[in-house]
Amino acid sequence: MKTSLPAPMTAALEPVRARLLRAAEADAAAMLATADKDAATILRQAEAQAADLLAEARERGAADAEAVRRAAHVRARRTARARELAARRECWEELRRQVIRGVEALRTTEGYPRIEAGLTARAHRLLGPRARISPAPGGGVLAEDETRRVDLSLTQCARRALDGAGPEVEELWTP
Amino acid sequence: MNAVVEYTSVRELRGPLAVVDRVEGVGWDEFVRFTPESGGERHGLVLEVDRGTAVVQVLEDTAGLDPARLRAAFTGTPLRVPVGPGWLGRICNGRGEPLDGGPPVFGTTTSAVSGDPVNPVRREPPAEPVLTGISAIDALTTVVRGQKLPVFSAAGLPHLELAAQIAAQSTAGGQPFCVVFAAMGVTHADAAFVRDALEERSASGELVLLLNTADDPVIERVLTPRIALTVAERLAFFEGRHVLVVMADMTSYAEALREVSAARGEIPARRAYPGYLYSDLASLYERCGRVRGLPGSVTVLPVLTMPAGDITHPVPDLTGYITEGQVVLSRTLHARGVYPPVDALSSLSRMMRKGAGPGRTREDHLDVAAQLLAALARARQVRELADLVGQSALTATDRAYLDFDDAFGRELVDQRRDEARTLEETLERAWRVLLTLPRGQLSMLPARFLDARLPQDGR
Repeated sequence: MKTSLPAPMTAALEPVRARLLRAAEADAAAMLATADKDAATILRQAEAQAADLLAEARERGAADAEAVRRAAHVRARRTARARELAARRECWEELRRQVIRGVEALRTTEGYPRIEAGLTARAHRLLGPRARISPAPGGGVLAEDETRRVDLSLTQCARRALDGAGPEVEELWTP
Repeated sequence: MNAVVEYTSVRELRGPLAVVDRVEGVGWDEFVRFTPESGGERHGLVLEVDRGTAVVQVLEDTAGLDPARLRAAFTGTPLRVPVGPGWLGRICNGRGEPLDGGPPVFGTTTSAVSGDPVNPVRREPPAEPVLTGISAIDALTTVVRGQKLPVFSAAGLPHLELAAQIAAQSTAGGQPFCVVFAAMGVTHADAAFVRDALEERSASGELVLLLNTADDPVIERVLTPRIALTVAERLAFFEGRHVLVVMADMTSYAEALREVSAARGEIPARRAYPGYLYSDLASLYERCGRVRGLPGSVTVLPVLTMPAGDITHPVPDLTGYITEGQVVLSRTLHARGVYPPVDALSSLSRMMRKGAGPGRTREDHLDVAAQLLAALARARQVRELADLVGQSALTATDRAYLDFDDAFGRELVDQRRDEARTLEETLERAWRVLLTLPRGQLSMLPARFLDARLPQDGR
């Protein structure tokens, strides 16, 4: 039930009302200011966070790009190196072919009987006088006893010499 | 014995072993060349000789061979390899044969892979650092030229990544430097990773890479570190380079040694490893060093995994007797996401004082390292206390130690896998970490260093 105050009392309470209203307005203004401040802080934090995220994303993107670039670089360099090594191997194999062919060609020279005699003597030195000596298919000799065998074919002699090759071979591909 | 003479008296082939009868003048560890009639060549090492019978371990296994049509040539010496700068930039298998598609490696001369022990009187003590670009190692367990410093790890930890990173970015203060990386018993994936990680170093002609994968013959694994060291010795003492030899994983090596020992019928010792495991490991590790009157140095960084993380396992145990300290990797740090997970308090470089400090690295290096370790030890105690009483019951100083511990892991130890930090940067980070503690707690640092970095009345 609503009752109204008598007029003199209403007038007497006017200052209280005004005071309360002012206090309420001040509270509201303070709350509003705090809310504004909070909003500004949150906004600032959000902006800072967004900037951080952006920077991190940029950094990560740059790192990824760098990783991709490096991987491509590594692949390219590896391919180049593989080609260079394959070319060197080809040089080495060609040298082997030529040397072996050259040594095998000794078979058709005038000095071959002397070479063969030398190889036969070496086979006897290694396996003893009872070693069975037979001519090797490409020139040179093969010697055998019950448990041992000596391959003094021209091809094998050339291979052995090549296996003992030193860094002078590298002159083939060193400028 | 002459390698030209071939024996046709191969009696039997059993697994990786070949038994050759009626041989003369054959010795242990002699290198053997097998030629089957079908062509191709295989290689072996003499494991045992009894009267006229030799037992040879065939490196490439005996599958597909017929003893009646097999010839064995004994070379008269243990395995020799060509040595010289021709190795630089090459990638070979565990017995030194090219994997990179190139020609064989040519050397100025050949050396026996078993090596010759260095006359102890001619040894120079290690000095001057090898800077790895890894903060945790450079700051606290500095590797010194000529030192042997193992990395103790466990399965699942990034020891191979760390070894590859060290191999990729180590330097010797602008002096000629190269790395010989011997990977033993690694998986193909790991071998590919190592190749990729070291590509740049290889392209610069500063790397020799020997790759023995897990499916390669075990006897080859026994040869791999020896070939690596033989190559390194030539590059160091005759070519004048400082050589870092990284050997990973020595536990795989020791297991290969155990297998070969069992094949020889030797009496097994601890955990079935041969009784000579200690002297065998010493015969590898002791090949590092500096030699008076010769240039260069050989520094050895063996990496070994401790089965089940057991530091008392024979391999880490015996390694620890021979080497000069250790870098220990920790599972806890790894779980916290710290790379490299180096447990600073369990790690130690006994030679650090010879290679770090005034005139070698930086004037404040040793003091900073000592203070870091002292503070870490205190931080560990504080952490244990906090586990009992809770962090809120700790004093402000104690809490500062916990903050210091966190900062140490985050700021100093943790680094990217492709990040090479200069010593300057490492020590500056160390200072930043130390200055999280109150000045009163930095009692191991001389006042002049502190005065230069702190206001007189400040923390």
